Amino acid sequence: MRQFRKLWQITRKDLLVMGKDRGSWIVLLLTPLLIIMVASFALGPAFSGELKSSLLYTNLDQGGVGKQLVDGLREVEGLELVEGTEAECQALASGDTKYKTCMLIPTGFSSKILTGSNTGLQVYVDPSDNASRPFMVGMIDGAASRLSGMVNSVKVSVVEVMKFAPEAELPVVASDAAQTAVEQMNQDPPVAVEITNAGAAADVNMFDTQAPGYSVMFLLFGVMLGAEGLLEERDKGTLGRLLVAPVAKSSILGGKLVAQFMIAMVQMTILFGVGHFVFGMHLGNSIPGLILMIVMTAFTATSFGILLASLVKTRRQATSVGTLVIILMSALGGSWWPLSIEPEFMQKLGHLTINAWALDGMNALILEGANMQDILVDAAALFIYGCVCFLVGIKMFKFRNA
Amino acid sequence: MPLVAAENLVKKYDDLTAVDGVSFTIEEGQIFGFLGPNGAGKSTTISMLSTYLPPTSGDAVIDGISVTREANKVRNIIGVVPQDIALYPTLTAIQNLRFYGKMYDMGGESLERRCQELLELVELWDRRDSRLEQFSGGMKRRINMAAGLLHHPRFLLLDEPTVGVDPQSREHIFETIFKIRDSGTTILYTSHYMEEVELLCDYIAIMDRGKLVASGTLKELLSVLGEGGVIELEVAPTGCSEKLEADISRQQGVTSVKHQDGRLVIFSDNSARSLPPVLKVLEEMRCDVIHLEIFTPNLEKLFIHLTGKELRE
Ligand SMILES: Nc1ncnc2c1ncn2[C@@H]1O[C@H](COP(=O)(O)OP(=O)(O)OP(=O)(O)O)[C@@H](O)[C@H]1O
Ligand SMILES: [Mg+2]
Repeated sequence: MRQFRKLWQITRKDLLVMGKDRGSWIVLLLTPLLIIMVASFALGPAFSGELKSSLLYTNLDQGGVGKQLVDGLREVEGLELVEGTEAECQALASGDTKYKTCMLIPTGFSSKILTGSNTGLQVYVDPSDNASRPFMVGMIDGAASRLSGMVNSVKVSVVEVMKFAPEAELPVVASDAAQTAVEQMNQDPPVAVEITNAGAAADVNMFDTQAPGYSVMFLLFGVMLGAEGLLEERDKGTLGRLLVAPVAKSSILGGKLVAQFMIAMVQMTILFGVGHFVFGMHLGNSIPGLILMIVMTAFTATSFGILLASLVKTRRQATSVGTLVIILMSALGGSWWPLSIEPEFMQKLGHLTINAWALDGMNALILEGANMQDILVDAAALFIYGCVCFLVGIKMFKFRNA
Repeated sequence: MPLVAAENLVKKYDDLTAVDGVSFTIEEGQIFGFLGPNGAGKSTTISMLSTYLPPTSGDAVIDGISVTREANKVRNIIGVVPQDIALYPTLTAIQNLRFYGKMYDMGGESLERRCQELLELVELWDRRDSRLEQFSGGMKRRINMAAGLLHHPRFLLLDEPTVGVDPQSREHIFETIFKIRDSGTTILYTSHYMEEVELLCDYIAIMDRGKLVASGTLKELLSVLGEGGVIELEVAPTGCSEKLEADISRQQGVTSVKHQDGRLVIFSDNSARSLPPVLKVLEEMRCDVIHLEIFTPNLEKLFIHLTGKELRE
């Protein structure tokens, strides 16, 4: 009981010391807020589909499949469909139009699919447009591949219309008709082709994609400061003074870890709070789920802090090794760009980091509208991760300078 | 029964023996002084007594409690004032004291009263709400000392509390130490300033290279040098016989002669009587005297006598 009271006094003292340290607050709050703002305004659109792109299309098909394709694409977030004529579509060649991409659904598209003949979509892209092309082509490809999932016979051909070579051939790459698939089709024709955006959240705010990643990164920088603080106490002798007082070692470390955890919680709450109330960031459909993720992330980060303090010899090492590890974890773990765009082995590697588990859960909640059950695996992974760091850390921490 | 008894304390760091078999006892109410040059092992000895470091071998007993076996009990009755200022620079003086007080299960009104008492003792009550980083070196040292006194320790360990302190603050610290002693606290005081130890301590142990080389009251220690005082002599390096040292040591009343930085330090039981024969030897040997001084015995000279080197390099 006495030791608990002392533990709590040590926590209060640490909070007081931290509270007075302006430099720490710059690292804990100001820097991440500024970086989140910069990143959100700069990169948010690319990752969230906020970029409103217009897709010109011409539907020469009289059947229903072409229309289903168009309707499907209309539902894609961030994509605006504009109907035009074939001539307008071909005008991309001369660069006389404001559109960058045009999709041409050829005559007899439906019937050819249904009879199993060769056909294809023609996509005209302005070759000078590198910015939106991957997004546009990806969208059309995705829509078409869903179609072909049903009919197994549509391939998209991308035709680059060279501005300086208007006479360039426009090849139509048609797929081989898969006879068996068509036979199946005939027995069970597609009633509807459904195309939906992968993310279910209504609309994605640019902060949604950026804030969690940078918050987790700066959470780790925050605990690194805590680790430095602990080593500073060891260097300056204040830790030694506690050791010769009737205070248990577990109370000393416990008090410091509770303080660190509380600071981490405050930091995350403020970063998400400012994101939400000032910049309209979404918090997802499950606030309890988000709280669970924040608690688990703060716990794991705190444990990482004590592990760091126990593995290095000096304060300088805590700073240099800590910075290296945190930058590496942030890059690998998806703090800077979504892990989902990485190859699989990099995603697997990424899950060695705290960031990846934290962001899996937070992104699922914020971007995909997941609920509590969906993130339990991530929360549990963080908890185990945190416990391992914690136990190794407190076991290995040296109270006295060597 | 003495309050403190150290038995053969040894502390080894890898291949270095910082404290090499130190034994001593401290009577209740005494100010016990540890005098020794840098690296003698004073702080290491204090660390073992204060339960900060476990001894490599040996033990010490404080009020009947062993520092190795019942460290936690010892911690309740000792107060430690470390050599380095171990306080939180961004907290105020009183916040620092309150925090350490709570580590000794103090609290409420009695802690507040004790903080005020100690801040008044070190004459910093009116600066209680200033952050520690705004204090001068001497003021920090005074708070550092107060922080070790909060829980009325029976035994106070003071490790060089006057390092880097101006003379006025030093005077002030001395006064405080006497007041603490008068309130019944037994004190272990370490220093490498012989004047401090001479002034403050009832009993003195001289330490060098991890060992105690002498101990006793000031009077007992100085009697080793004889009552007669010390003659310090510097001669020109050329033209003086190498037999000088041997010849001087044969003169009347001379007890020993040591070399010290090119000087001869001559101990005798009566320097007034030894001086004329010493001068005569110098003349016979045609030595040019550059410097000649007569001292009354002091710890500095004793240290040279015992170890052949100076207390302060
Ligand atoms: N942690 C340590 N590791 C290795 N050697 C150490 C350690 N602490 C002290 N020493 C060595 O032990 C010896 C005694 O050191 P100590 O600090 O006890 O001396 P001191 O008498 O207090 O000196 P000072 O007057 O400089 O404070 C020194 O040679 C020092 O280098
Ligand atoms: Mg020392």
